Amino acid sequence: MSRMNSAAIESRTPALPAEWRDFIALTKPRVMVLVVFTGICGLLAAPVAPPPALAFTAILCITVGAGAAGTLNQWYEADIDALMKRTAQRPLPAGRMDRDSALQFGIMLAVLSVVVMELATNWLAATILAASILFYVVIYTMWLKRRTPQNIVIGGAAGAFPPLIGWVAATGTVDPLPLLLFALIFMWTPPHFWALSLFVRSDYAKAGVPMLPVVAGVRATRRQILVYSVLMAAVAVAPWPLGLAGAIYGLTAAVLSAVFILLALATLANKATEPAGMKPEKRLFAFSVLYLFAVFAALVVDKWLIG
Amino acid sequence: MIVIDPHTEEVRRRQRARARVMGIALAAFVVLIFFVTIAKMKLYGSL
Repeated sequence: MSRMNSAAIESRTPALPAEWRDFIALTKPRVMVLVVFTGICGLLAAPVAPPPALAFTAILCITVGAGAAGTLNQWYEADIDALMKRTAQRPLPAGRMDRDSALQFGIMLAVLSVVVMELATNWLAATILAASILFYVVIYTMWLKRRTPQNIVIGGAAGAFPPLIGWVAATGTVDPLPLLLFALIFMWTPPHFWALSLFVRSDYAKAGVPMLPVVAGVRATRRQILVYSVLMAAVAVAPWPLGLAGAIYGLTAAVLSAVFILLALATLANKATEPAGMKPEKRLFAFSVLYLFAVFAALVVDKWLIG
Repeated sequence: MIVIDPHTEEVRRRQRARARVMGIALAAFVVLIFFVTIAKMKLYGSL
């Protein structure tokens, strides 16, 4: 059979519709866990407790909104995802789904999450949710990611919104504590992502993404990790002396931030340039996830035990 | 004897699975809106 005939047959054969699991994969469920957790903590730390059905709906909307942002990110980045080992098996680069389906799914989730948030809670929470989705998709994914090594610094704001949204969904107002929680995640994001990008730097270089280790080098990235870790520690502890949180939160944040800085120092002391020798970076990356969970959990425990 | 094309069979299987998930999601959405409505009515003193 000639090549033309086989191509013609192939074009007549309808492509398989995507599996429903692939739609779930588009939403980046693993990333969502941290987003949802910080959103729940923001809501639980608020001085007002909304009715359980409305609180549940607010968290669901944050979850679906994060899923929408992840989906639209994968829709836009299918070309570079195909070039990186870590992302090549996602539904779009692996050819298990067409881009239009991903785009429609992402827009539907975004609209649904914002509209239901407004119906269940208030317009301010819905507006911040819409802004966070737009920020992640337009400012980070479409504008910054392929243009500047500071992409993650500014883009990190998108992931910092959930505790603020959770708080605003409960209270209807923006207060100093959720703003500090926003700042905490904003400062946490660069060391978290740069630790990861140090040991997957060849992937980013291959895809042409100007992550800091690719553009400025390994040494400069390790210095920046330490600078942001110190800033993050200051923001993390701040609610305690400001009287916005109690000693349980303050001491937990202080101890964990000290460990974070020690791990950042160990990263700075590391001379390895190949992933095999980057144990301190891998340790910092793993600890950074645990750190955020623990600090936010401490805030909720502090609020519920001390009030 | 009826021969079923394995490709067509796989398409049908995926369509059925997606329809089932969509049905469950829609039912959950209706239940969610019901509870949101009840909670809001209680909140504003209509119940």
